[in-house]
Amino acid sequence: MTITSSNIQLCYQCGKCTAICPVRRVIKTSPRNTIYLNNVYRTTSDDIWNCLTCGLCYDGCPQGVDYPEFIKEVRDSNENGDIAHKGVFTLISDLMADLDESKTSLEEVGNNDSKIGYYPGCLDFHDMFFELDVDFKSIADSSVKLLKSIDQDPKLIQMKCCGHDQLWQGDKGTFEKLKEQNTRLIKESGIEKLVTSCAECYRTLSLDYDLPIEVVHISQVLKDADLGIDSGIKVTYHDACRLGRHMGEYDAPRDTLANAGSEVVEMKHNRNDAWCCGVSSMMNCDDKSKALRKARLDEAKATNAEVLITTCPKCLAHLNCMKDEQESVEQYDYDIKDLTVFLAGQMGGK
Amino acid sequence: MTEFEPDILTFCCNWCSYAGADLAGVSRLQYPTNSRIIRVMCSSRIEPIHILEAFKEGTDGILVTGCHIGDCHYIEGNVHTDERMKEMVDALEHLGLGQRLHLEWVSAAEGKKFQETITDFVEKIRALGPNPLKHKGVEE
Repeated sequence: MTITSSNIQLCYQCGKCTAICPVRRVIKTSPRNTIYLNNVYRTTSDDIWNCLTCGLCYDGCPQGVDYPEFIKEVRDSNENGDIAHKGVFTLISDLMADLDESKTSLEEVGNNDSKIGYYPGCLDFHDMFFELDVDFKSIADSSVKLLKSIDQDPKLIQMKCCGHDQLWQGDKGTFEKLKEQNTRLIKESGIEKLVTSCAECYRTLSLDYDLPIEVVHISQVLKDADLGIDSGIKVTYHDACRLGRHMGEYDAPRDTLANAGSEVVEMKHNRNDAWCCGVSSMMNCDDKSKALRKARLDEAKATNAEVLITTCPKCLAHLNCMKDEQESVEQYDYDIKDLTVFLAGQMGGK
Repeated sequence: MTEFEPDILTFCCNWCSYAGADLAGVSRLQYPTNSRIIRVMCSSRIEPIHILEAFKEGTDGILVTGCHIGDCHYIEGNVHTDERMKEMVDALEHLGLGQRLHLEWVSAAEGKKFQETITDFVEKIRALGPNPLKHKGVEE
């Protein structure tokens, strides 16, 4: 047996992963059994498409089996499972890989000579294809505004999609194409530090790319900065799986919020125990994962916070969508906002 | 080398623009043969995924036609089409294909307009050149 990066062969079938799995709460799925089928019979089941790759099982595994990594490997070259929005985001990224002219943002803002780059990710496409009362583009505007206010005037980098969804949906070929083109674009731009406002972009650019420059999430830039805000608003923070468990960054967004004078209250499941929004990499948006989102919204409601903060546009979109859907049944009296939009909103017209 | 002949995909709604195309036919109005017509029940049946898939397969331009606003057989289907196509043009702009999608309202009585729309669009695409994805697609 060969040693793989996921340590899959170290599994001794304790079943802790299955007990901890958020998907297991709503459907019959078993990470333990999937590993067993792979290790003993060399087969896979449909279970590989049920996984949200949220990383809770990896966090709890006594043997350090990286189940999400294993899922990523095994999905490659397998037929796709259920992709949300009929795969329109996937298709856009596929086309981007083959079109030289394509980019995720048409805007040219910021200081062109700056050594700091800001990558907005696919926010523009979120605005086009989600019928939600959320202005995704304002995340990019807010991020630039915040970075400017702490004298780190960024240059908006026009790249292609980072390829996160392709990688996790099992299309490694397209991911490699995007990676190659983006790496070239970043090198050509001459920046030394790349700031992202999206947890998925942050994970992908840091772990799956080999970039010669530093990649940081915007909360890591803002945590020590003095933004001159003292809001006193009671907020709760939803850990995006990519920023939290995948990258181990729990403190930076909380510190940023605390620095800005907000009172951060925690939900029942927080930090490395945080529940998933249910739709990482645009997969599995169905009635089952909606049950997970409902549970998350209920947890946030129990904290009596005024705003639910998150750092991933996908969490933002899907939690907001669920909130709208539940409107006739249950009232959630809080706003769901991105960290940067929340902070920039407090800054007012400055 | 032969001259570039664009492949155009035209979506016509069953109630207005397909009848408009019929009228152009029976009136013997001449228009370029580059376009293939797909009939749909309503222009709002056309989803973003259809447009993107067609470009992926190598079509050079897509023309979406429907009833005039207010005339829709399904009352307000074409209002949704209008919104959606604006978003699609924006999305295609990001991909570098922005000029290749066009929306036009053609009623059942406007055979002449149908002829002119197709002629203009074919000429526009001919000037733009082939879809950059064409030779990467499934043809070979």
